[in-house]
Amino acid sequence: MADENTLQKKEEPKKKQKRYPNKNYSVKKRLPLRPVDGNNVIFITKKSNFKAQLDKCCDLLTGGENEIILHGLGSAIQRCCNLALQLEILFAGTCQIEVNTGTVDLVDDLEPLTDDLDFDTQVRHSSSIHIRIFRVAMLGAYQNQ
Amino acid sequence: METNEFDATLGGAEHLPLSANNLKFAASRSVEIAALTELILRPSATKLIFQTLPVHMRRRAMSHNCKRLPKKLRDAYFEQLKKSGISPKQKRPSRKHRRRPKYLLEEYNRRQKRNMWLETHIWHAKRFHMTECWGYRLAYAPCDKAFRACYRGSSAHCLMQDISYLTPIQIEGPVDVIKDMFSTITNSSCNLSIGAKAYISGNREGTIHVYNSNTYPFGYIGKVQFMWIPSTNIHKTLCLFVHPAIVKQIELLLMDLLSNNTEQKDFEDVSKKRKLNHIYAENIQIKVLSGMFNRFRLTGPNSHAILVNSLKCVDDIQKIKHDDWVEKCDNKDLELLKEKDQYWSSLSLANSPSQLPPQAVIGLVVRDPRLRRPNHRTKALCKHDSAVNTSILTNIPPHASTSALWNLDVHETIKKNAVTNSKYIQHVTKTQLVPGEINENDPFLQSLPVVLVQRPGSQDPTHKKIGYGCGWDIIMPSGYGLPFWLTFIMFGARPGGLRETESLAFEMGECYFPPDSEAGRIEEEKIESELKNRYFRLPPSKRVNFIKLGINAPFICPWRLLLQDWSETPVEKFFILRDRQKLNNLQECIQAKKCIPQMENSDFCLVAVYLQLSVRGSLKKNALICLPEQNDMSCIKELAEPHHEDPNEQLRKVKRAAHLKLLKQLRKKRIKQHKKQITTIKKLNKKTSKEPSKYVKEMRELWLPSNVETVRHIGARQVMGYISQGAFSFTEARSCGVGYITYNALNTLLNMAKNQVLLRNTSSRKYRLANIQIAIH
Repeated sequence: MADENTLQKKEEPKKKQKRYPNKNYSVKKRLPLRPVDGNNVIFITKKSNFKAQLDKCCDLLTGGENEIILHGLGSAIQRCCNLALQLEILFAGTCQIEVNTGTVDLVDDLEPLTDDLDFDTQVRHSSSIHIRIFRVAMLGAYQNQ
Repeated sequence: METNEFDATLGGAEHLPLSANNLKFAASRSVEIAALTELILRPSATKLIFQTLPVHMRRRAMSHNCKRLPKKLRDAYFEQLKKSGISPKQKRPSRKHRRRPKYLLEEYNRRQKRNMWLETHIWHAKRFHMTECWGYRLAYAPCDKAFRACYRGSSAHCLMQDISYLTPIQIEGPVDVIKDMFSTITNSSCNLSIGAKAYISGNREGTIHVYNSNTYPFGYIGKVQFMWIPSTNIHKTLCLFVHPAIVKQIELLLMDLLSNNTEQKDFEDVSKKRKLNHIYAENIQIKVLSGMFNRFRLTGPNSHAILVNSLKCVDDIQKIKHDDWVEKCDNKDLELLKEKDQYWSSLSLANSPSQLPPQAVIGLVVRDPRLRRPNHRTKALCKHDSAVNTSILTNIPPHASTSALWNLDVHETIKKNAVTNSKYIQHVTKTQLVPGEINENDPFLQSLPVVLVQRPGSQDPTHKKIGYGCGWDIIMPSGYGLPFWLTFIMFGARPGGLRETESLAFEMGECYFPPDSEAGRIEEEKIESELKNRYFRLPPSKRVNFIKLGINAPFICPWRLLLQDWSETPVEKFFILRDRQKLNNLQECIQAKKCIPQMENSDFCLVAVYLQLSVRGSLKKNALICLPEQNDMSCIKELAEPHHEDPNEQLRKVKRAAHLKLLKQLRKKRIKQHKKQITTIKKLNKKTSKEPSKYVKEMRELWLPSNVETVRHIGARQVMGYISQGAFSFTEARSCGVGYITYNALNTLLNMAKNQVLLRNTSSRKYRLANIQIAIH
């Protein structure tokens, strides 16, 4: 929540957006737009078990995948970083990490609670992290040709 | 031993006369001859025709098969059969004969008389367990064990269901009059009303809770989806999609509103109402259009990719000018095809329906789906070349929802001009030089108007993961169900049935059929009788003794008794709280462990809750929701219901022994009679009815006493409510349940400053801790 507040402060001089709607609307969230999906792409969530996510990454890397990409959004960024650092320790010397950060536009729906209002939307921004973990040496792993 | 009766020539004493008078001879024997011929020609009634044959000419199974009789006797045989009232059995025609298209169709038409069939019925009947439901024969669950696969489909791929059984009802009239009519049967506190600004343009589909007129909060009927058909006219058309379980009630209700019968005492009110009814009857037209549309429900993120791959929009009206149905509809519905095509192709960049505007209605004109069908079953993938623009996602263009589908004149022509599969294949083989090639702009197949309706799924991340249960509904004209269905299947949709509807509702935390409606009550009773029958089919040693577990209504939830116990007033009718504001307040109170405010009618009020077991454990239907006591949290691991005494156990034993004795006596008697060969006493006809005997009924009563008087204080903990649907939830990775508790019980719980409850399955003594959440829908 902390980064959301700072975000709002930054935006205030630009344009006064209707961010916290009044009692006439209820805020409904939509699924964020996703980057390219694939077998080696993992979206880190706060709800999934950390250990399970770590195991999945380990399996992919030991299974011969040359690179895996982790995506984290908003409050899952910290977890995403943690996971990448854990992987770096586990695959010490054989893996490297490349980190990119970005901003994702999120669309919220404003559902009217009274009859004389129409549906509305608001666009929020949330920070995101994209970590690419790639192998630099294959130690005893099955070499994928 | 008379030795002297020989002819004289042989040495006897008898002398034959020299001449015989044959007339006299025959006359003296005529009576005998007549009797004999009579007997041969008309055998006595007790004899069958083959019994007239000598023994050496008789064959096995002659009485069943006339071909074993000599040919000359066959006529007599049929005569006899006719006399005895049995119609002569004819041979079943061969399978090849029966499967000829004409006979097959006849057979299908015969079988459709009892239950309605959907268009995809035969496809389903080959692959699904079918059930009879609401006057339809519907698919229940796929024959392959696909429970988890269906869940995975709904959460990660695409699950498709045929929901053409939803009955469309069109209401035509001035907007104000329709609004006014619906104001009596809906309540604004539950949902947006039917004439809300959000829906009136026809860009979005809405949902209303329908009650009997002016009985809110009692008299709930059900949830109804509706959309306005876009037009600039003041006369508008509203399309309701009504579930077949409640369609009769809704029809009656609407007819009632239109007709003039009023039986109210207040004179002024009567005249006012009459006037209103008069206005309704004059201006409003109601049409029930069952079977006019097909509606498929696609759930899951991949449903978008499937639709994008299988629907090819027509972008110019000139291209469809030659289709017959285009002439019949006004051009207003068909203009802006190019803009629509652009809008749809810009939406096609999204990866999931839940990224699109919620409940959006999009009308398109698409090419015949057979033209886009892949050769093999493939998984449709979304395009990834460029990201979708957020400005497209935020608003729906006003022209998006117009469609010629709502014009009823079009349907007849579309159905008439539908090209059958065999015709289509003939055409393709004739025109295409390269086998397997298909010309996508082939004018041989007509284009079709379809309407897509988005379903947002979960939009609240604290409840379910965002986008779970999202998808599209596609509405298409009748006659084209199967071509669309097969194309979607070929693009990787997984078909599901009614079981998936139930499990989806459960995973979303919704109740399938609320118990305060008529449909819900019928459903509950059906389930009860199923469970009861199953219970009594088990041998006594395998039956759960519910008396010992302290459970007196294991198969049905006695809501009225429960409310009566919590309010100490007689409860005739009850209702479930659907007021959004109040539900939100309750949720806040539960989170903050605050006391809830007083409410009128709280004695008759149930609150829908979503429960999650806090640790492990399983949860089943009809589990009890119990009120925890002060120090339960510390000893939750050992908390169990004490053993109850079963006073009926001894009685059952005695009764069973007596019954066995009686049976033995009867058997002895029978044997004795058999030995004496007394055949005069005929055996009593065996009872063929399913009505169980008196003994069975009494025993059942002793197993499950039907006179339930109290349900609140039956165990060590007070009962607050019941789980109506409980199972392991894949989205939460733990057991969850949807249930109802009484308002007063919730009040008591929060007065104790607790927001957790105890749960106990009907077949267990163990109490488990669960987190409570208000189900807001």
